[in-house]
Amino acid sequence: MEVDEYAGRVKLLGFFASLVIIVLLSRVFYLQIIDGEKYASLAEGNRIRIIKEIAPRGTFYDRNGKPLVLNRPNFIVTIIPRVEPVKEEVLARLSKLLNVPLEEIHKKIEAQTSGFDPIYIKQDVSLDIVTIIEEQKHLYPGVIIEVQPTRDYILREMGAHMFGYVSEINDAELEKKKGDGYKSGDIIGKFGLERIYDQLIRGVDGGEQVEVDVSGKPVQILGLKEPIPGADLYLTIDKDLQLAAEQAVDEQLKTVHANAAAVVAMNPQTGEILAMVSRPAFDPNLFARGISTKDWKKINDNPYHPMDNKAITGEYPPGSTFKIVTGTAALAAGRVTPEEKIFDAGYHWIIPKTNASGEALGYINFKEAMAHSDNVYFYEMGNRLGIDELEKYARMFGLGKETGIDLPYESDGLVANQAYKKRVYEEDWYLAETFDAAIGQGFQLVTPLQAAMVMGEIAANGKRYRPHCISKIQTQDGTVLTEFKPEIMGELDVSPSVIRLVQEGLHEVTTYGTGASSFRGFPIPVAGKTGTAENPHGRDHGWFVGYGPFDNPNIVVAVVVEQGGFGSVSAVPIGKKILEAAFHIK
Amino acid sequence: MNKRILKRIDFPLVLATLGILLMSLVVIGSATHINADDAKRFAFVERQGLFALIDICIVIFLLNFDYKSLAGYGQKLYIFNLLMLIAVMAFGHSALGAQRWIALGPVNIQPSEFSKIIMIVSIAAMLEDKIGELNTVADLLPIALYIGVPFILVLKQPDLGTSLVFLAIFFVMIFVAGIRIRILLGIFGAGLFMMPIMWHFLKDYQKMRLMVFLDPNVDPLGSGYHIIQSKIAIGSGMLTGKGLFEGTQSQLNFLPENHTDFIFAVVGEELGFIGATVLLLLYLIVLWRGIFIALEASDVFGRLLAIGVTSMFAFHILVNVGMTTGIMPVTGIPLPFMSYGVSSLTTNLLAIALLLNIRLREQKLSF
Repeated sequence: MEVDEYAGRVKLLGFFASLVIIVLLSRVFYLQIIDGEKYASLAEGNRIRIIKEIAPRGTFYDRNGKPLVLNRPNFIVTIIPRVEPVKEEVLARLSKLLNVPLEEIHKKIEAQTSGFDPIYIKQDVSLDIVTIIEEQKHLYPGVIIEVQPTRDYILREMGAHMFGYVSEINDAELEKKKGDGYKSGDIIGKFGLERIYDQLIRGVDGGEQVEVDVSGKPVQILGLKEPIPGADLYLTIDKDLQLAAEQAVDEQLKTVHANAAAVVAMNPQTGEILAMVSRPAFDPNLFARGISTKDWKKINDNPYHPMDNKAITGEYPPGSTFKIVTGTAALAAGRVTPEEKIFDAGYHWIIPKTNASGEALGYINFKEAMAHSDNVYFYEMGNRLGIDELEKYARMFGLGKETGIDLPYESDGLVANQAYKKRVYEEDWYLAETFDAAIGQGFQLVTPLQAAMVMGEIAANGKRYRPHCISKIQTQDGTVLTEFKPEIMGELDVSPSVIRLVQEGLHEVTTYGTGASSFRGFPIPVAGKTGTAENPHGRDHGWFVGYGPFDNPNIVVAVVVEQGGFGSVSAVPIGKKILEAAFHIK
Repeated sequence: MNKRILKRIDFPLVLATLGILLMSLVVIGSATHINADDAKRFAFVERQGLFALIDICIVIFLLNFDYKSLAGYGQKLYIFNLLMLIAVMAFGHSALGAQRWIALGPVNIQPSEFSKIIMIVSIAAMLEDKIGELNTVADLLPIALYIGVPFILVLKQPDLGTSLVFLAIFFVMIFVAGIRIRILLGIFGAGLFMMPIMWHFLKDYQKMRLMVFLDPNVDPLGSGYHIIQSKIAIGSGMLTGKGLFEGTQSQLNFLPENHTDFIFAVVGEELGFIGATVLLLLYLIVLWRGIFIALEASDVFGRLLAIGVTSMFAFHILVNVGMTTGIMPVTGIPLPFMSYGVSSLTTNLLAIALLLNIRLREQKLSF
């Protein structure tokens, strides 16, 4: 070539051309070799969807195999955004169909952060809506109906405190239970038996691993894991008795114009809980699909705390029902003989504390004092025992600590004692406080379950069985995971004759004593004790504890009516109705 | 074709080009087979293969003519080019927001593709007489005007990618034509200064593309989606690739435009680093042969043609592979010989024809 002064520039361009290829090669090397793993997993994430299939929770059955808590299908209108967002016109159509404001739908979509997970727009839609969306699929692209098993509390408020409720796991629970296989979004038992036995009754979620194309359309199923249903709970509850107890409480609350009450019915010779009621109650179905703000506010604003299971959490002064403990202690410790008569002048001679209604019964023995619930007699028993001995026997009955029932949030109550007063009030003990303690006032606090336990120990000749709500847990294929046998927690260290005396005194309550007006003519011999616990915050709490049949008891009940007034008026009628139901008396 | 010609054929260039074409047909087949029903499953491959054959025949036929005679057609080609680009604006139909296609019988042709090679010929013809005379801005002004008109026509389509190709080719050619380095740097400086003003003239989607290039996550489901999915496709191919027809990104449609602009992502995903390297090395051979032919060309016109064509290839490869790997903004520039499209394929093979022709007629021919 004649002119070649710029050949150097051409060579320079050759260098640049090579540089282009080197740069691109390096870039490809970086993407494929250095970062390859990362992109490989991103590609997998693109194409593979896990469609979770929620395992149905175990069914609750009563002691006769009647269902108490079931599952039902919950049809959820769900948006699957995939790559492109669901069109505005579709959302508008959906908003109209579901009667959900468009802004609310937008808010739910915006709250979605993880891209491909389904967005639940409305839970529990009717079958009509399911049909419309399924039949007019072309009008609702990106919208699907997801079906999830959801808890169905068929008895609604009845037994709610025992059964408990479920709802989505929260961050704190997740943090604590991550090791046990709980994942974000899981439904978890929050209260009652649902909570205590959650691990066994929740089952194992299954799912489908599906390859999808860019539009989210499944191309092929890569793997399938069937969900394993949770194990079933067989409760010790008797459904009929439970319903009778619920009904008795509701009727009585109306009659005496009270708002709160609790009932425990138990077999004293096994510890099986037969019925348990707490009022006011809540409908656990509200939580199963996410409770609305309005419903939650209503529950929260109720001054009588519907969410508390008062049967095991509520602590009340036991009132005269505590005379069972005082009486047993006095006889067992030899501070009084059954025959000794003590003079009731209407008040005690050391400290002028009186009977509840100012009555004076003259000379009375142990059984008469028990039958009439005479305060002066039991002040004297307290006086003779002293607070320390009284405390010892109260603890022997199992008071002052949790009973160990398989329900959450049990309170331990309080046994009046010197150390407690010293610790809390930094004061010495006064004799007047021993008097109060002897008749179940002052520092003494028990839960309704503890009151039933005390009565149960007398009924079972001194034996204390662990209270429990479950007889067995069994998987759907018939494997029994756990079976609950009666378990003795303690025994009263007193002679059988003492227990017999107390039993007779309690029986006489129902023949000529404070419970006689209700139980006169009752076809089955029973024992009982009323109580009226002073309440510094309002009307007295009414108590009744009782058991029957007298000779071979298979049921003990404890009833407390908050601010119900006299136990014989407020609580006894409930107890009587429950005993009637238990003995099939009409 | 006589034996003498056959002896002087540049075999490395021919083989590298045929190698890339073969890869192209295989990968287009893989990229398109799932989207069509059975009868049309290989329609894209068949069509591209057919036109490749026709184009190769044209290339062989053209070897019989001396490229030097093209110099005399510079003016006429330039005017033809302008008319063609104006025709696109008047009668063309649009796709993806740009008006680039014109129907010509059974094929839609994309005049801006052909216009690249026509521009190379006309610029070469013009610069041939100006070697060593590009010393002042005044010397450059007529040339700038000359290229400015078609440049703006393409930019208006709008086809930012192709207009940038024009610019790149133009600068490389005046560089080889001996422009004073000082002036060249001055132009770059001014260009840099003009950038914020140019930004003002960009269409919204073009601005978005540039912003997304800087950060794909600005708009992950919109403009950034292409880049993200393309990088995932390439990266997930790793060393050996997922195998033909097995690329999940490509076959399940996560990768858009997988047989045209983003075909390199399919290569990366299905053939892995090994396949991508083979392809890039084949390109390197093509570029090296182009540079070599430019050096050895028997005249300035031949050298300018060769360097124009080679720079066109290089720029396309850089921008396209750079785009699919996420180091260049998204512009609709096809990958030479690989991307599906008749206009682009024909243009590139005509460019190869030019290179072979120049090589055939090196000085040794005049013994």
